[in-house]
Amino acid sequence: MSALSMPLPGAAQVLRLELKRNAVPMLLPLLAVVFWFDTLSTADAFPPVWTLRASVIGNHMLFDFGAFAGGLAAWAGSREGRRKTLDLVATTSRAAWARLSIALAGTLCWLLLAFLAGVALLYVKTALEATWGGPPLWPVFVGAAGVTVVTAIGFTAGVLLPGRFTAPLVAIGTLLLDQAGLHAALVLSPAQGTYAVLSPAGLPPMLDAGVYYRVPPDVSIVRVMLMGGIALALFGVLGLAAGIRHLIRVGGLRVALRALAGRGDDVRLRMTAAVLIGCGIAASGTAIALAGTAQPDAAGGWMIPALHSAASDRPIPVDWDCTSAAAGAGVRPAFQVCVSQAFSFYLHPVASALTPVAAEIAGLPGAPAGAREIASVAGGQAVMSGITGTPPVFDFTADHVGGVFGDFYGVGMGQAFQQGMLDAFLARSPPHAGGPAYVLPQFLNVPTPLGAAQQAVENALLAPFGWQPAIAGPAAQQWQGPALAGILAAARRFGALPASARHAWLAAHLSALRAGTVTPAQIP
Amino acid sequence: MNVNLSDVRRSFGKNKAVDGVSLELGTGVFGVLGPNGAGKTSLLRMLATVLPPSSGEMSLLGRDPGASAARRDIRRRLGYLPQNLGYYGSFTVVEFVEYFALLKEMPSPAVPKAVAAAVERVDLGPKAKAKLRTLSGGMLRRVGIAQAIVNNPDLLLLDEPTAGLDPEQRVQFRSLMRTLGQGATVIVSTHLVEDVGAACSEVALMADGKVVFRGTPDELTARGQGHSVGDAPLERGYSAVLAEARP
Repeated sequence: MSALSMPLPGAAQVLRLELKRNAVPMLLPLLAVVFWFDTLSTADAFPPVWTLRASVIGNHMLFDFGAFAGGLAAWAGSREGRRKTLDLVATTSRAAWARLSIALAGTLCWLLLAFLAGVALLYVKTALEATWGGPPLWPVFVGAAGVTVVTAIGFTAGVLLPGRFTAPLVAIGTLLLDQAGLHAALVLSPAQGTYAVLSPAGLPPMLDAGVYYRVPPDVSIVRVMLMGGIALALFGVLGLAAGIRHLIRVGGLRVALRALAGRGDDVRLRMTAAVLIGCGIAASGTAIALAGTAQPDAAGGWMIPALHSAASDRPIPVDWDCTSAAAGAGVRPAFQVCVSQAFSFYLHPVASALTPVAAEIAGLPGAPAGAREIASVAGGQAVMSGITGTPPVFDFTADHVGGVFGDFYGVGMGQAFQQGMLDAFLARSPPHAGGPAYVLPQFLNVPTPLGAAQQAVENALLAPFGWQPAIAGPAAQQWQGPALAGILAAARRFGALPASARHAWLAAHLSALRAGTVTPAQIP
Repeated sequence: MNVNLSDVRRSFGKNKAVDGVSLELGTGVFGVLGPNGAGKTSLLRMLATVLPPSSGEMSLLGRDPGASAARRDIRRRLGYLPQNLGYYGSFTVVEFVEYFALLKEMPSPAVPKAVAAAVERVDLGPKAKAKLRTLSGGMLRRVGIAQAIVNNPDLLLLDEPTAGLDPEQRVQFRSLMRTLGQGATVIVSTHLVEDVGAACSEVALMADGKVVFRGTPDELTARGQGHSVGDAPLERGYSAVLAEARP
């Protein structure tokens, strides 16, 4: 008899039947549609940066899978009660715990398979587009733990409270739980408590997360520990299911203790179940305690001191991708733009956007001779783009030049880079701290507030590129009515001048313009 | 003796479902008769090790079902058909019977053959691959019987086994019970007295949780002489015993 033709052990044969007759495959097409239109379309809207794309696993995929996993597991768990086979299966010799575990495994196998297939599709698509790095595994572990715990919750609810409505109620409950987790993550701050790091859902990470600094696994470890602990405890509860069911039916402490001690499988199995419940609770409790010690880390994420490795804090050596710096047709070398290879896909769009603007201001004091991408977080502070060094270089961050998050990879990307460089040039601002990186970093990058004359000049310089920046920032409120009209009129006048005349005026008045002593009316 | 009960009682709150039953049974087909609420199903559930007795002593297949290791061994050698058979509609006939064979921890290599044999014995061979949700009530009853006998049990408990079967199937099933009774203890709880007359070598009649008659079907028939209630002789015996038992 060959190994292949040997009959499977009894438990494996039961599992084969459970897999064959599971309800999950019937709903897989619907799950695939939800996955496609939510998880995958959201990921497609992100730049092809591994950490960013992988963030949809916690923020969208778990949400999509959660309701299905909870509901389908509750359906499977409630089968014996719903189909009234409790007496029949109770007369069989295989332990009830083993029987329920196999049924749970059948459902969990299908759900994990579907989950991993979804992750594979997401990662293959990302691999085809990404220009640097590799697939992060911790989001997959967290996601798999999330699917497992929701399945365990649903299954246990089905076993203990079997009924027709258990599955839909668990599905709805899972949706609400996901929402609550997301909401908890949204208020994440040291002031309001750090327990929200336990939620697998949260804000998308910085655009360059994992590019300049490693993403430490601390928070992922705590999440897996929490969810694994809950799943383990629930698995133990299944070993005491007969007693707990009796307790739910009859009630009363004495009856409860007698039921737990005397019903179900033999005493060794029940003791093992009790030990597993204890271990699960201990693991989850430890995870919660560890989450309470979470601190913002230098790279804009969160670290757990007890789990943190100093190696995670070391910067990743940057592999640059640059445009040519060789001398162009003129006397000056070409305006060189460098980005991390992770962002190679936008090197040429950025260079195309910045080079003509750089040409407009070339030769003026403080005008950048090149542009270079830098990390968007330093020392836990979000970094705002600026001009620095000799010769001056426009240091931009993937996060903060792109305006609001959605503009990064869309139509507005080039315009945002142009405006970002002119903002820094006219306001003469070096890269600077923009506030704690963990607080909604995407919204820190509002355009630099400029003076009225600076704004008029910026509008005029950007006019040849077919757009005008929206006048924004704190100063915008005072530019109502006549003041705003003055800015726009000055921009039109200045824009109408020949390029050489504009350049000459700027050369003569740049210091005064930066100092704020020029008014729009003084602009030719 | 495969079944040995001594003053077994089972109460649900103040209700005494089984009230001091003592039985000793070897191989053969044993019928349990009685009106609704007499305690037949509770007695069978105790014999099936689903329900522990409130008091009294039980020995099944020479073992004490109160001890978990012994209970597990008893369950390996037990077949049970409950009064209301639950089933999984998405399973086929073969899968359902196989599922229970595996839950009874039959040796894996023996399962396919045993399943095929059990399905054939209840005459469901042509429907072996049909989903349970597509079967009629009578066919489902036969599936239930197949899962009960798949492990060739030494103790077979059948609660209303012929409910839903057509006359031809009932005749076949009585024959099957007689065959099974040659090597095992078969306990049939029923309210159909003709089943008892045709298949059982011994019968007990329960009323209010107590055994009020025990003997052969012929002896029960004899108790009905001169009694007018009932169409068949056995029914008259049944009615006569019950009438005597009522206060």
